[in-house]
Amino acid sequence: MFEQLRDWERNRHEYAKAWKERTGGKVLGYFCTYVPEEILHAAGVLPVRILGSHEPQDVTEPHIFGMFCPFCRDCLAQGLKGRYDYLDGIMIAQSCLHIRQAYTSWEKHRPREFSYYLCMPHHVQSRRALPFLTGELVQFKAAVEQWTGVTITDDDLDGAIDVYNENRRLMHAVYELRKTENPPLTGEEAMEMVIASQMTDKAEHNEELKRVLSELPKRQDGRQTGVRLMIIGSEDDDTEFINMVESCGATFVVDEHCTGTRYFWNEVEPRQNRLEAIAARYIERVPCPSKDWVERTRIRHILELAREWKVDGAVVMQQKFCDPHEIDTPAVRKALENEGIKTLFLEFDVTVPVGQFKVRVEAFLEMFAEEDLFD
Amino acid sequence: MTEYWRWKETRWHDEDRDWRDGELITAGVDVGSVSSQAVVMVDGELYAFSNMRTGSDSPESARKAMDWAIEGTGLTLDDVGFVVGTGYGRVNVPFSDKAITEIACHARGANYMYGPSVRTVLDMGGQDCKVIRCDERGKVGAFVMNDKCAAGTGRGMEVFADLLAIPIEEVGELSLQVEEEPPPVSCTCVVFAKSEATALLREGWPKSKVLAAYCSAMAHRVVTLLEQVGIEEDFAITGGIAKNIGIVSRLEGEIGIKALPAKFDTQIAGGVGGALFAQSLLKKKLGAN
Repeated sequence: MFEQLRDWERNRHEYAKAWKERTGGKVLGYFCTYVPEEILHAAGVLPVRILGSHEPQDVTEPHIFGMFCPFCRDCLAQGLKGRYDYLDGIMIAQSCLHIRQAYTSWEKHRPREFSYYLCMPHHVQSRRALPFLTGELVQFKAAVEQWTGVTITDDDLDGAIDVYNENRRLMHAVYELRKTENPPLTGEEAMEMVIASQMTDKAEHNEELKRVLSELPKRQDGRQTGVRLMIIGSEDDDTEFINMVESCGATFVVDEHCTGTRYFWNEVEPRQNRLEAIAARYIERVPCPSKDWVERTRIRHILELAREWKVDGAVVMQQKFCDPHEIDTPAVRKALENEGIKTLFLEFDVTVPVGQFKVRVEAFLEMFAEEDLFD
Repeated sequence: MTEYWRWKETRWHDEDRDWRDGELITAGVDVGSVSSQAVVMVDGELYAFSNMRTGSDSPESARKAMDWAIEGTGLTLDDVGFVVGTGYGRVNVPFSDKAITEIACHARGANYMYGPSVRTVLDMGGQDCKVIRCDERGKVGAFVMNDKCAAGTGRGMEVFADLLAIPIEEVGELSLQVEEEPPPVSCTCVVFAKSEATALLREGWPKSKVLAAYCSAMAHRVVTLLEQVGIEEDFAITGGIAKNIGIVSRLEGEIGIKALPAKFDTQIAGGVGGALFAQSLLKKKLGAN
């Protein structure tokens, strides 16, 4: 049922190349989900997210420190190895310095015809964030227009907002089904679905989601749900890890990742000034911890998800050396534990040592079922 | 050539009892990265065990440990009602009925070996270290393991015994024979610590002082792990390193808590826990039939 989405997730480069061939359009690679994709879509550009490939590599060492997070090093490696050479442009919206370093190094060593640094404000909780970002988006829109030669009208923006909002609603609908006692999909499938949405034309993704949703509620695969888990943390596209956990008697029923809910949770609410409407969406979205201060608003959201999806336990993960998540992790774990939700903390690297993680995961799951092992 | 790292393999069985008088015979087989143990329990009481080095082949190591544990008892594998496999080779115990992680097994094993007052178990194994918090039944409440590195573990100690040509059983005692505690070696990575130690020897440090520096570095590293989970008393140490007084006493000094004295070979905790889980599972199996 998820074959098409999985295929897009796994063969992302082939998809983008074929799209380019088919439409003659431009493809832009982006480094962080704070990039307002609606504006790019409105100009007929396909935005694709740059992710790593989870292979050991030796090409980034001269360009980026080893104590930068493995994700940003893995991303840069893809650029340096030429795997994204079909890209016409790259861009980043400011989030953390590690991924920005990957972007600037890519820009230097693999220059594209278009490159853009969007100054996404950090202090999203400030009243001044919205006017600031709206102003930045005016400039960004002009830059995209100049690059593509396309004039972006309000109608174009409305069309793009509709497509993106529909995509968000459809993914919400899939997530709703995971609230059931026996979710008809695995956490691995859900992750593949969201990553696929970051790699494909949203209109096409929407059609596939509608097809999936027409069949999904009836799906019966006899799979045992086991322990209901949530996964929380930094960028995570490690489907292999999700699969390993789900083969040990558990199912991820919800997540709090930028390859999951953080990406699609919020919609653009209509406003007369379209750019302001888009800016408001990115200011008010579930934040990345790099922007979630002075108040930690994310924790409230995490607890709501845990409650609504009836979570028994949570895997709290982060990319090694990810400072923003590192700062939040103790508070997130404490909040969950206070609600009686057990947590397992893991630090991810480019490649996950499956054996070492497996013993931790199995021991964690035994904590839920251990009663069966006693007299 | 003398193999200074080679620790003594052991076996024991209760000669005062006849297993034939018992009802529930169960076993726990712990195939670790460095050592393997087979533990046989009769009606929930320790009956026999073996403790030996793990070979390159996990199923073979499990079989050898089991054969040795039951040697001379008249017991055969067929008489054992339920076997739990544990340790990193837990899925490679060919005759096991169920695999359970060493984390759960060490907590339950420590509960039996040190008594139900144990709340924090530190397992210092061959290639990893873990801290486990448990309740009065030996049920796991929280745990943490070290990452990716063999520092502060049995294998690291073996490397040091070899480097200094001191039999491994004497390492701990010798490390205490210093007038003043030297600063710990700065590297806990086994490979780097070895080069650091070589340099110290060249500077003229006596072996006892080098060992003291290494033992205190290992103890310190484990303390940081303990602090991640928090130590609640009573406190017990399992695994091979629990036999090393040089590390244990430094560790106790740093945390200001004494570990409970060991009544059994500290390396068999995982096997004991496995055999106890096996007993509970066997009861359920028999009850269901």
